[in-house]
Amino acid sequence: MPPNVSQGCQGGCATCSDYNGCMSCKPRLFFFLERTGMKQTGVCLPSCPNGYYGIRLPEKNTCTKCKADCETCFYDSFCTKCKRSFYLHSGKCLKTCLEGFENNNHTMECTSIVH
Amino acid sequence: QKAIIRVIPLKMDPTGKSNLTLEGVFARVAEVMPAEGKLLQFHPLSLCNTSEDEHTVRGFITIVKLESPERDPHPCLSLANKAKLAGERGAEAILFDITDDEGAFYQLQEAMGLSHPVVLISGRDAELLMEMVNNNQEAQVKIEVKEQPKWPEYD
Repeated sequence: MPPNVSQGCQGGCATCSDYNGCMSCKPRLFFFLERTGMKQTGVCLPSCPNGYYGIRLPEKNTCTKCKADCETCFYDSFCTKCKRSFYLHSGKCLKTCLEGFENNNHTMECTSIVH
Repeated sequence: QKAIIRVIPLKMDPTGKSNLTLEGVFARVAEVMPAEGKLLQFHPLSLCNTSEDEHTVRGFITIVKLESPERDPHPCLSLANKAKLAGERGAEAILFDITDDEGAFYQLQEAMGLSHPVVLISGRDAELLMEMVNNNQEAQVKIEVKEQPKWPEYD
């Protein structure tokens, strides 16, 4: 076994190496690139961390970043919590709510104005 | 063309012993030129169009430890395009550790005129550098062009 291939892979890796961590994951797990200081290592997770959503593909499941204004999301176009100073409206993050809705600074969502 | 790679840990130890002076080879895919920046490791799979790295600050020097080809049978991009992508993401230079992928040397000899130097390292020099990465020891890296020895004058 080449020196740099770790004897046993951590977590849910299918293949891995000492310096890069996981190179591929066991079935159903998501491949995620984790940065800690100057190091970036591959890890395999049952679900993606906050700020990312999972994409399942035949050859690999990966974690992909939510949009820049979104803190947590189901997928690219459906945000579940916006970043600071944005209001959530139907899965989108708005700087200010649309007509007929008001900026709810408590929930940081757009709430409809009841007449 | 050979490269001299000076690695200076940011947390200076008074003895300076932990400074490293390593040697590599410039790949012809890019310009042969000096470069300097903070050392930052990239996973080989992070240099794909589909993945992003949250690191957005420019001015770093990327180190990528290449895996043996059978461990990454369907690479997302060629090595030349991975080097290009790293430059586009703000790298001042790219260091490839080719210890486990000697074929990488030949893949990176076709001139593409990349504006950020690409340096190949392997063996003991690569091991020393990767050990520093493994210990998350932040460091500044200076890449210099090693002067070719002048022809001795025969009297």
